[in-house]
Amino acid sequence: MDKGASKDSGPKDLKAENKRLSVQFKAQHGLLVAFFALILIFHILGIYLFCSGFLLSRLVLTNRSECAHSPLELLEGGSASLYTAGSPEKGCWHPRTFDKAVVIVIDALRYDFTVPFLPRSTDEESHYYFHNALPVLYETATQNPNNAFLRPFIADPPTTTLQRLKGLTTGTLPTFIDAGSNFAGTAIDEDNLVEQLFLAGKKVVHLGDDTWHALFPGYFEPNLTKAYDSFNVWDLHTLDNGVNEHIFPLLEPSMQNRWDVIIGHYLGVDHAGHRYGPDHPAMNEKLKQMDGVLRKIMDGLDDDTVLVVMGDHGMDVKGDHGGESDDEVEAALFMYSKRGVFGRSKPEFKIPPATAKERPVGQIDIVPTLALLLGLPIPFNNLGKPIEEAFLQGSKGWQQLALATRLTSAQIHRYQGEYAKARKLDESNTAATASLWQAAGEVWQKSLSLSKSDAKNVYQAFMAYQVENLRICKNLWARFDLVGMGMGIALLVGTFIIVAMYAQGIQGDRTALSPVLLGRGLMGTLLGGGVGALLSTSGIGPFWQWTVFGAGLGGILFTLAGLSVDREILRIPLPSTFWGGLSFLVTILLCVGFASNSFTIWEDEQLLFLLTTFGLFMLASSLGQNSSEDRNLGVVHSVSFMVATRLSSFSRLCREEQMPDCMSTYYSSATSSTSASWQLIIPFLVALILPSVIRQVYVRSLNYQGSAVIWIGIVLRIGLTMTAIFWVLDAADDGEWYPNLPEGLLKTVRIYIAQILLALTFAAGYGTYIWSSVLLTVKEEQAEPASISKPLDEADPMSPVLTTTSSAPKTRSKLIILGYANTHGTRYFLLPCVWALALQLVQKPMGQGTLALCMVSILNVLEVVDANNLRRSPLGPIVLALLGSFYFFKTGHQAALATIQWETAFIPFRSIVYPWSPILVILNSFGPQILCAIAVPAISIWKVPPKLPGLLSRVAGALTTHILFYAAITLATVIEAAWLRRHLMLYRVFMPRMLVAIINLLLVEIFGAFVAVLGLRWSIVSVGDIFGWPGAIGT
Amino acid sequence: MSAPTPNAKPTQAEIPSKPIDLIQSQYSLLYGNLHPILLLSLGVFSFNSLVSDPVNTLLGLAPTVAVLQAVYCILCLPSTGQAPPTAHKPGQKKKVAKPAQDIWAKVVPAFLSLVLTLTLSAPLLYIILILFGAPLTTHHLQTLLLALHAALLTTPQLFYAHGLEKNTWLRIASLQLPMDEVYGMSLGACLGAWLGAIPIPLDWDREWQKWPVTIVAGLYIGAVVGKTVGGLLCKGLRLKLD
Repeated sequence: MDKGASKDSGPKDLKAENKRLSVQFKAQHGLLVAFFALILIFHILGIYLFCSGFLLSRLVLTNRSECAHSPLELLEGGSASLYTAGSPEKGCWHPRTFDKAVVIVIDALRYDFTVPFLPRSTDEESHYYFHNALPVLYETATQNPNNAFLRPFIADPPTTTLQRLKGLTTGTLPTFIDAGSNFAGTAIDEDNLVEQLFLAGKKVVHLGDDTWHALFPGYFEPNLTKAYDSFNVWDLHTLDNGVNEHIFPLLEPSMQNRWDVIIGHYLGVDHAGHRYGPDHPAMNEKLKQMDGVLRKIMDGLDDDTVLVVMGDHGMDVKGDHGGESDDEVEAALFMYSKRGVFGRSKPEFKIPPATAKERPVGQIDIVPTLALLLGLPIPFNNLGKPIEEAFLQGSKGWQQLALATRLTSAQIHRYQGEYAKARKLDESNTAATASLWQAAGEVWQKSLSLSKSDAKNVYQAFMAYQVENLRICKNLWARFDLVGMGMGIALLVGTFIIVAMYAQGIQGDRTALSPVLLGRGLMGTLLGGGVGALLSTSGIGPFWQWTVFGAGLGGILFTLAGLSVDREILRIPLPSTFWGGLSFLVTILLCVGFASNSFTIWEDEQLLFLLTTFGLFMLASSLGQNSSEDRNLGVVHSVSFMVATRLSSFSRLCREEQMPDCMSTYYSSATSSTSASWQLIIPFLVALILPSVIRQVYVRSLNYQGSAVIWIGIVLRIGLTMTAIFWVLDAADDGEWYPNLPEGLLKTVRIYIAQILLALTFAAGYGTYIWSSVLLTVKEEQAEPASISKPLDEADPMSPVLTTTSSAPKTRSKLIILGYANTHGTRYFLLPCVWALALQLVQKPMGQGTLALCMVSILNVLEVVDANNLRRSPLGPIVLALLGSFYFFKTGHQAALATIQWETAFIPFRSIVYPWSPILVILNSFGPQILCAIAVPAISIWKVPPKLPGLLSRVAGALTTHILFYAAITLATVIEAAWLRRHLMLYRVFMPRMLVAIINLLLVEIFGAFVAVLGLRWSIVSVGDIFGWPGAIGT
Repeated sequence: MSAPTPNAKPTQAEIPSKPIDLIQSQYSLLYGNLHPILLLSLGVFSFNSLVSDPVNTLLGLAPTVAVLQAVYCILCLPSTGQAPPTAHKPGQKKKVAKPAQDIWAKVVPAFLSLVLTLTLSAPLLYIILILFGAPLTTHHLQTLLLALHAALLTTPQLFYAHGLEKNTWLRIASLQLPMDEVYGMSLGACLGAWLGAIPIPLDWDREWQKWPVTIVAGLYIGAVVGKTVGGLLCKGLRLKLD
């Protein structure tokens, strides 16, 4: 085959020149991959810093406290114990005080709702609607201090009901990710009071807020329990009236033996707060109603039952909660018993505190208190302490309290030992508490007689241990590290600027900049890391944090300095064209929308809306093309794009928050995670249609030859058919369609199919891609020399025309190269076709249909971009990014942990195999984003002349523009999550979306650099070997 | 679309399109200003009933809007093929005769424009609404009526003023027409409807967030704003897509 250029310059020079250009390309290409890797490193550093400050984690220990094993065994060897553990009737670790309990949770019962209003000055006469409306607690505690007490009850933020119930039953502090806990469900999997009650054989009845059922499935008496939907904040009365209807009959003497513990959770006060705010007649009315309810319950109690009334959190001035303000954390705790068993440490404490600032107790303190009062073991992970009033009963009060506190501290000590072991903590973390523990032990040894003053000393010594331990745990688990988060955000902003400048702010050859950027970037990283490490020795902060921050900041600043070496080619990266403006606007709209939980929840619908907007504008632009050929091509593909997008939008997996306005279609029903049988047809349709669609595109530009026939026409079709068979076998196995077959046969066959398919994709697929020659044929034809060449410039890339080369003007015969017009594009697009097969295999049948539509849409975009000659516009990369994000939802995912399709890990394996199982789950979850990222280089090289100068620079621009979209979303969601870190919806909405954004960004960068750009090398080299090498821009 | 014609001349350059000028007469001026006010007040007065009963309200509004649009076309716009308002230069006394014939020459195209709106643009806009994510299996009447209103606000004036010439419509569809009152109103209505979709997902639990109230509101506001902006501020401007 002829080398493109004229023969006059001499074949030798040409060869040498080509060789030089080839080496130059390979060097530039290597540096470009390295540059993308550098950007990836900056992002990783920023994300690492942010997440280490944001996602504080606590390891959930699954150990359970057992009735027969008191924590004191560790201290006394089980022999010298004052009390023999193991009898639930007498009390497991400690003599029990009550047989039964009624626990009333009044959601959002703020402390100042329960105490009389005291005007601070004489002129402050008016009081609010929430004042003096619920006097029963204060009255009872003041009039009968032995029967009751009332104290402020301080919640650990976040003050959301779900998190609070966890704290109130397990005695632990809330953190973002309870590592080791079950991602998929909300059920509590650590030791807790409800489970301990259940295990002790107590009959627990629950009435009210259904959150309890999500947390403790199966522990409640099924016949007596009545749960109500907690979602409808506007309804103040249905739930409360429902609880009343069921609770009073239970208190009748005839029903007393049917239950041991009643948990009643009223939501009316909370709903009144959300709807009207605390200062409203409705709140007054609601509190008065609660006052009556509590009086009636107190009347109905017998002597062996303790009543606990508590608020799980407070509310702010608007009546909302979730944050950490005083009003939100200050709830009330009231305990009552007909037997006078409660005492006070000082006589003046008989009057309940006037404000929540005085003598507060922590909400976790209820856990050991209630456990010991009811004779249960203290839940293993508890960090709270016994509440003194509950144990200071009679003359032996102080001794009781000292024993209870010692017991609780011993359990905390046991927990700390296990936690340190599990987390492999060194002793420096526990040194302070260890010395307090030892000191308390010594006090105990000295006061074996346990007189009243000894008991006081013992109590105080163990209290000191508990308080210090809690303080350390709070520091470890429940605080945001704002410095770390700020550092992370700073690095993300810096990297964003680099990406934005590189993608949209350079007029000229980007690849020429790579050596400077890389060199400076690496130098800056090393220098900055060194400076950071040095600074950290001066005590400014932790070593690793400052080293990482220094490395990132230094690298980013030096890279930016490298960018500004040649100011001539720089411009402000703001949009200057219509398409740039539209892309910019859409990205900004999405970024802003993620600050709102509604827009985050409905992201899938918005992406459909935005993609259709792009589709319509692409249609409009195509209609405006002068050449009817371009117009037709553009119109057909724009319409196809919109139809494919809308079609795939019917595949939905709704998140909980979208209910009831959304109907899931991804699986056979809303409550199932298996495909319906009709959905099994989809993979067969995909196998039938998708290869034909791709083939059609190749045929149009006459590139359907050689490896394209092999891969698209044969292997892809067979592979997709095998995938379809795989999913039929899977369904047959699940549904037991053939009960006569030997057990496990279907599974074995299925697993072999999957393994063969994956091997096919990655071995045969990559083999085909790498060693494929250019998809061309050359025909020789006798013709007039005059009609040989045709001007070929980028502005006029006709697709299906036979284009003659400009070569050999002196020969008589004409060389016709079939497929010349799209040499680069079709050669490279084999790579997305290879990946498509593997990505299809790991999708569920419905997802295969939508992912195939995604592939069709990608081709549509490529053709529209060509028809409108928008290769250098941000349109293509941004639409592909939107497509990737959209099809994430259409393949059965949501930005919620619950929608991860874990079972993907078992497609080619019987058990979890590292590292493949997590990789498979990633390929399933982020398949569309990966596919779109791999397709991005095709935008720049679709139907361009083989020797177009600056090809690599254009690809780099397109890919960084694509990355820019994800970087913008990541930056926005990270900042918004930090800003909204005490928002009610943080766990449910903002944090999951931020995690998705982060994973998207990293994956797109990894696949962009190491699959797309790296893979581009073989494609361009194979073209360059035949047509010769393009020079740089300007040559 | 057109058959492939290789080496065809750029077909669109044949007739340079100009922004449309309104007929310069008293009635035209009066109604031209009254029209947006009428449209908006129609929207404002029926908003409450639109929220409580979208289907019947939209159904009831449609004939009125159609009539308003037809009157606007007849009084203010030069019909297709009609000479631009040069005929009304002072000193010229020409078309005074045969006023009856004159009025029919305007009423018939206006009527035809409405027929085309009903048969061509409304179905097309319905499809576009569906593509944008309008509910397909529920709310059929709401979406159909929304498409009807969108068609009524965007297309009768275009049919009336531009006829059915293919190249002109290619230019209209590809946003290449120079801006004027007529085109501004159509584009404004589309943009307004687009923006109207934004508040729907918010969790404010307001009655007016229901389908298709916000879109209708955006449609009407957008049409009026677009008409004003297109006719006064941006007249003659052309959007550049590439």
